[in-house]
Amino acid sequence: MSAINNHAGPLIQVENLSKSFNEHLALDNVSFSLDKGEPIALVGPNGAGKTTLFSILCGYLSPSNGSVKIAGFSAGHSSLFGRLAALPQDAQFDPRFTIAHQLTFYAQLQGFSRMNAQKEAHRTLELVGLADTLKAKPDELSHGMRKRVSIAQTLIGSPEIIMLDEATAGLDPINAREVRELVSTLSSDITFILSSHDLSELERLCSQVLYLEKGKLQQHQSLQNDSEHRYLTLRMKQPYDNFIELIQSLANVQKVEQTQKNEFVITTSTEASENDPLDLQILQLCHKQQWQYSQLTNGKTLENRLF
Amino acid sequence: MLNIHRLFILIQFELIRIFKTKSGLIALSAFCAVWFILLYYMVSAATEIIFSDGFKIVASTLFGSLGLNALLKWPVAEFAIYWLVAVYSFPLFALFVTSDQTCSDKARGTLRFITLRATRSEILIGRFLGQFLIIVVLIFLTLMACIALAAARDGALLLPAIQQALVLFIELSILITPFIALMSFFNSILSSAKMSIVASILFYTIGALLIGFIQFRLNSGYFLDYLFPGTQISKVVSLEGLDFKHYLIPLLQTVVLLFVADKLLKRASI
Repeated sequence: MSAINNHAGPLIQVENLSKSFNEHLALDNVSFSLDKGEPIALVGPNGAGKTTLFSILCGYLSPSNGSVKIAGFSAGHSSLFGRLAALPQDAQFDPRFTIAHQLTFYAQLQGFSRMNAQKEAHRTLELVGLADTLKAKPDELSHGMRKRVSIAQTLIGSPEIIMLDEATAGLDPINAREVRELVSTLSSDITFILSSHDLSELERLCSQVLYLEKGKLQQHQSLQNDSEHRYLTLRMKQPYDNFIELIQSLANVQKVEQTQKNEFVITTSTEASENDPLDLQILQLCHKQQWQYSQLTNGKTLENRLF
Repeated sequence: MLNIHRLFILIQFELIRIFKTKSGLIALSAFCAVWFILLYYMVSAATEIIFSDGFKIVASTLFGSLGLNALLKWPVAEFAIYWLVAVYSFPLFALFVTSDQTCSDKARGTLRFITLRATRSEILIGRFLGQFLIIVVLIFLTLMACIALAAARDGALLLPAIQQALVLFIELSILITPFIALMSFFNSILSSAKMSIVASILFYTIGALLIGFIQFRLNSGYFLDYLFPGTQISKVVSLEGLDFKHYLIPLLQTVVLLFVADKLLKRASI
């Protein structure tokens, strides 16, 4: 059993973390703690400090102030080698060596024998669907393939934390879905920390979210359902007259709120829906009124929770 | 604390970089071609001229004025010329060949993959030792070629040539270490091999002028010469009357440069 599994406290403990680049304050007194478990989303607009936070957690940057402990060790500590893996944004493989050679090298650094390291390189490439690129050099691969190879290097050995910075950015929808499926499959054994601008992707995968804005941690919340209220998000194909009034008139509806054009969040109480479920009522109303809906989601979207 | 296994893997990777990649083999071929020309046209031809009866007095005067008379007494004449070429060319060669120890990996982001698996100190020392071994192998190859050259002229010279080669191998290996460490230092603060080369040129030109000026104005500070790797070359070139200090200078320079490079690399953003 590894040191991380043995560690009793929070998996990641960040206290009063600040990072400034000359005059620019990239992170401003950020504190949070994360436990081992379901994937965690790191969200925020461009320049919010996500990559800076990522870089500090990986040990690439030193904080200006504050402290970071990962499983009880400071970021970049050698005890985390092989246990914390990361896909840093824009990091590239060495163009002079084959993918197999570089993955084997990384596996050897993690303590694998040469033969086992070669097998590990093959295994991890297979996980990202690129086993046939073993002998290729990075320049021979497309941007998306290089990104998947970078993801493969995070899977070497048995890491317990994997940090993925914009893992699906630049990938085609099929490959992005495969990466999401991979994260989902492995998330029972590995704690993933994901940064992405694709909120629907994070919503599907993550149970916790850290929202950064202008270097400050604005929100740190669980994506579990609210204990008092239940939400439904209804997206209509086009606007309809009296839509809000008619939905509001349904039994147990507490509030109808328009969040975007043709998108509504409907609030009800958690106790109310046992005998006459609200979602069925809504669908029946749509059918009766001949309204075309495009999506009915159980709960609020991540976007609606954050903004 | 350095992990020996990781250090070994890092050194091995450096050796593969030069001896198994296409770009490394091209560089190696260029090196061999240059040294073939140096040995065949310069060392061999100069040996014949300098040690010919007609040129002996001129050579003695010339070498004597340079304080290199001891070289004329070497049993294997080829090595005297080889040494004069090698003692100035290998440090320069080491500067160029080892100019990219961590720079391009840092610029490309590859260092980010590696630092998740090895400490920055291990990367620095591993790269330094890897580059050192590469240059040492190349020194060894040129010495082998020089032995072959001498033995081809006279078979009886084989044994003295091997003995002389061993001495020169040790001398050259010690000589080049601070130059490689200097590049480790520049690599820890700069982000490209070209910049490292430019920095080393400025270090040896403007740096030397500045220190010369300080010494001239203050009539002291002569210890500052020890900042420059190779400062002892002019004194060791005759290989006569060498004491421990001559070996201590390059080794101390190496340790200090690597120590500073380690501190800088640990603080660097990658």
